[in-house]
Amino acid sequence: MFKRVIIEDWAHIVPFVSFFIFATVFVLVTLRAMRLGKAERQRLASLPLQDNPENLNR
Amino acid sequence: MTTTITYDDKSVRHFMIASILWGIVGMLVGVIIATQLSRWEMNGHWLEMVTGGWIKADGISFLTFGRLRPLHTNAVIFAFVGNMMFAGVYYSTQRLCKCRMASDLLSRIHFWGWQLIIVAAAVTLPAGFTRGKEYAELIWPINIAVVLMWVVFAVNFLWTLAKRNEPSLYVALWFYISTIVTVAMLYIVNHLSLPTSLTHSYPIFGGLQDGLVQWWYGHNAVAFFLTTPILGIMYYFLPKAANRPVYSYRLSIVHFWSLVFIYIWAGPHHLLNTALPNWLQYLGMLFSLMLWAPSWGGMLNGLLTLRGAWDKLRTDPVIKFFAAGVTFYGMATFEGPLLAITKVNALSHYTDWTIGHVHSGALGWNGFMAAGMFYWLAPRLWKTQLWSKALANMHFWIGLTGILLYVAAMWCAGIMQGLMLGQVAPGGTTLKYEFLETLESIQIFYWLRSFGGLLYLVGFILCAVNVWKTARSGQPHDESVEVTLLEKKQKDGMAWGEALFNDPLAHIFLAMAFVILWFFLPRHADKAALVVALLLSWKAVTAFKASKDKWTNWHERLIENYLPFTVLVFVAVAIGGAVQIVPSLIVNREKNIEGRLQELYTPLELAGRDIYVSEGCYNCHSQMIRTLVPEVMRYGRSGVADDFSHLGESLFDHPYQWGSKRTGPDLAREGGPLATGAKYMRVGKRGNDWHFNHFLNPRQTSPGSNMPAYTWLFEKETDVKSVPARIAAQAKLGVPWPAMNQHEIRDSIETQSQEIAKSLVGAGVYLPAKPDLKDDALRNHLAKSQVVALISYLQKLGAYREIDKNGKTKPAVLDPDSNRSAAN
Repeated sequence: MFKRVIIEDWAHIVPFVSFFIFATVFVLVTLRAMRLGKAERQRLASLPLQDNPENLNR
Repeated sequence: MTTTITYDDKSVRHFMIASILWGIVGMLVGVIIATQLSRWEMNGHWLEMVTGGWIKADGISFLTFGRLRPLHTNAVIFAFVGNMMFAGVYYSTQRLCKCRMASDLLSRIHFWGWQLIIVAAAVTLPAGFTRGKEYAELIWPINIAVVLMWVVFAVNFLWTLAKRNEPSLYVALWFYISTIVTVAMLYIVNHLSLPTSLTHSYPIFGGLQDGLVQWWYGHNAVAFFLTTPILGIMYYFLPKAANRPVYSYRLSIVHFWSLVFIYIWAGPHHLLNTALPNWLQYLGMLFSLMLWAPSWGGMLNGLLTLRGAWDKLRTDPVIKFFAAGVTFYGMATFEGPLLAITKVNALSHYTDWTIGHVHSGALGWNGFMAAGMFYWLAPRLWKTQLWSKALANMHFWIGLTGILLYVAAMWCAGIMQGLMLGQVAPGGTTLKYEFLETLESIQIFYWLRSFGGLLYLVGFILCAVNVWKTARSGQPHDESVEVTLLEKKQKDGMAWGEALFNDPLAHIFLAMAFVILWFFLPRHADKAALVVALLLSWKAVTAFKASKDKWTNWHERLIENYLPFTVLVFVAVAIGGAVQIVPSLIVNREKNIEGRLQELYTPLELAGRDIYVSEGCYNCHSQMIRTLVPEVMRYGRSGVADDFSHLGESLFDHPYQWGSKRTGPDLAREGGPLATGAKYMRVGKRGNDWHFNHFLNPRQTSPGSNMPAYTWLFEKETDVKSVPARIAAQAKLGVPWPAMNQHEIRDSIETQSQEIAKSLVGAGVYLPAKPDLKDDALRNHLAKSQVVALISYLQKLGAYREIDKNGKTKPAVLDPDSNRSAAN
């Protein structure tokens, strides 16, 4: 393991591993975000504005 | 059922005022140290000029660049941005949770405890008490206080989430959670130390391990102390200021999870082209490039929130500061990945380009977001109008001019010096420029940088005046609102199993684990791991198809449950660090080293090294010859093959001293072999008398140098008494010191210091402060002085022995076509 971790040339494998990890996370959260319903999305997005005086009567 | 609650805005006011005051202090120190790089007199000699000779000093220890630079960085990061972040978090968390902070007592302890830590740092850093690691300089008792205050903050924050009257956690709160969790993890691991006294300790990691842990911390301190909380603030205050919701809530989900997961992997880009194993360098570079996507997603989300409100940009200083701040976030997060490309880094690293990059983030992103938030908060916290919009606008334009001047000057200085340092003389066998020539060439940019920094400071003083006047024109005001109380079952009802062992999610985590194993396992086993990873991915897809609706609802349920959410954030940020650091901790040990292995220091050299660290020499000098031809030509020894810095050469260095910026040349090969007839004394590139005169007056030996004069090193005695305890601590950390009792240690120190002092007297050195000292009296005085200990250390740098092991790589015949070994 020592040689593998310190010495070996990694150019042929690191980009694949990096891409796989990145793509997994990115696709997962994008899928999740895409499936979020419109009403819920609007409710969550407007949370900071609920106490704005001009919004209180809406 | 409804109730009326009053928010704790007093704490917000306190943190905001503290941020402004400490910000001015931190920026002022920044301007001072900037001028020190142009005029060496600014390291204390100016006091002699100002007082007409009443104070006599060529340099003053607590005013040198090496000691003040950590004060500047710590003040700006932890005092200015830290207090600003707390102000924003306390204000927005209460509103988003629709409840008062959980405990007024904890809020008060947090505020006053944090300010005490800052005062302690302001006293200890100029006094030379330091751990010798960037942004982690504070000594161990202060480290413990920081951790305690962070725990107080975390408890208060999470307790407030538990008491909330709003079921869903808004995206700003996610960013705050990630800050709390990750900063705690980073800070604790990077500050693990073994104390030798109340004011001194050694980091438990050494050499490469220490470097890796340091930049895992250093890089992610930028990520999770200077970025994620400010993104949270952006997601709350920008919609408030524009009076419209965030542009895309979907994008904020993608932004958050991909950012916190990916950021943590990018740390090794601070160590490109060094002795760091290649796979870590590749990972650092690739994940830095991938960071472009979430960072720009977040930036665009922020800017597009202003859609339909662009007209306010002309009239509202708050929007102006926010828009410019987010734009600088985009610039800095474009430049960061660019600098993480190994070939670009070869030019930029160790130069002022990095300093320019950091300041476009600190001044543009952090500073402008802070200013925008302060101008938005001040009228609300004192229930009045902003005292002067015109003054705020003036602040904006002065500050913007200052940043642009600063950053452009640093880009030019860095690129120019980087190019000059790599330029080869006609003939191709020598370098064209001496280091000092490159330093003198960029002086004009250094002056421009100082002026840019001064402008920015003036802008912030205007902000302080404006906020002060606003406060004076109103009354402290704690907002009260009527809220609907939430029933307990409406929040935090998710079972742990549902949160963490959800089918598709568990399969994906397992698949990722096997991909990582594919990376580490030996031949064939790695392929098996890849197959398992693919099978698990397929299983995740089928699990997703089978329970689509349930899983779709999972994230909405998750953001209604703060504890599982917090644990998942921790898992996301811990993976990257574990993959990079754990293998390095396991294998980078003495028994595995082939080739060069560092020679141990003598007790006097260790004492000298501690002085080197204490004076902050690492702020200007690296000890790392990168694997680049011009570097080896400049700093390597002639006739020695592959004379870049190897992994084993700094294995026993606690802390490592590779550095991150070269205002002076690299020192990795400064030392040399034992002097003829000497028991301990070594002589390297330069003689002992050269170093003596250099510390006394750097311009005497190196005309044009901007290094301070270290006159006090000739008066102060080396702390011999503490050396046995320090050696004992290092031995506990795994440094293979030979068995020595304290008498042997003292004898060794005495012998070596007398050898060096004798050589100095023999070379005819002269001590201006004590002109009467001669011969034996001078020798005995010098033998006790710090300068001799420091010289002993410098003359040891680069000493190593060769370790030959069976597995050592042997020369092999290369295939002439592929240029690869024929065996492959």
